[in-house]
Amino acid sequence: MLEEYGRILIAAALAWILFVSVDIFWRLPQKGGVSGANAIGEMIARRGGDRNGGWMMGNIVSSPDASAGTLLAACGVFVAGIPGGIVAALLVFIGNRICHDPGYAGTTGALIATAVIALSTQFGFFPSDFIVGTVIAILTIQGLSLTKASHLLGRLWRWRA
Amino acid sequence: MIEGLVILLLTVLITLGAVVTALWKGPFDKLIGLSIISAGIIPFVVMRGYLDVAIVVALIIPLSTIIILLLLGRPVQ
Amino acid sequence: MESLIAAVICLLIAVYGAIRAVIEQETLARLPFINVMNFGIAGAIVLILPHPLTLVAAAAYFIGSTLEANAIASAYAKRGGT
Repeated sequence: MLEEYGRILIAAALAWILFVSVDIFWRLPQKGGVSGANAIGEMIARRGGDRNGGWMMGNIVSSPDASAGTLLAACGVFVAGIPGGIVAALLVFIGNRICHDPGYAGTTGALIATAVIALSTQFGFFPSDFIVGTVIAILTIQGLSLTKASHLLGRLWRWRA
Repeated sequence: MIEGLVILLLTVLITLGAVVTALWKGPFDKLIGLSIISAGIIPFVVMRGYLDVAIVVALIIPLSTIIILLLLGRPVQ
Repeated sequence: MESLIAAVICLLIAVYGAIRAVIEQETLARLPFINVMNFGIAGAIVLILPHPLTLVAAAAYFIGSTLEANAIASAYAKRGGT
């Protein structure tokens, strides 16, 4: 029982690192991708948050990004193994285009997550750990302190850039 | 028992959404309240096994929100 | 079923997101918390009913809710807010 919570926390940390890295790689904090993302970024900047971090958080809200890819890949692997993860990547890709987002953050995030989750099963993890883990990871970014999270993301962005 | 907890949490979501939609004033806030309600009802549909209904409802409710937003943008006749 | 415990965790996070959105005063700031709620519900859907088609339902719900949040945010920005 306690071991399950430990697995979930480790999965949350892995999911956090995964989708933050993929999003920063695809330059999500550089600008607001769709107009809604821009508005949310400006709002966070107005509250004293970091502008680039705010744009990335706006992008997470407004379009399926690597965090969505990670979540749906975990769901896909949970119901149907690796093929399920690939189908999830395809669904995220379609979702991106429906949202008029020309990016690939969601699709690549989903594919990488599928690989990571499939590999993790060799170490005793279950895909369901990653489903809960991704939700917890998103909670830490979008659900606690918007300004503090944006500062953290902004710092990571400048470190990359 | 766990199943009861799931039902309780979903009911909390739906009730919260309904109360909040009634109390909030602005149109955008009310639309957010509607999305809270729909977040509560979709898992109920899935729980009963009606996956195709869930897919359709999950697509139609956001579509309705977008149509409402388009209607809000038009000048009142 | 252990996955139901995971579903309860996801639902708790979803309810927390909704409550934070209710507490929040500014409309645009509510959207990230609603996003947390949507993540939680999408995860809960799959954990409640493990079936291949549930993946499509979760994806449909998630993409629909993302579209909706984006529409609200951009309409709010364009109209200058009420």
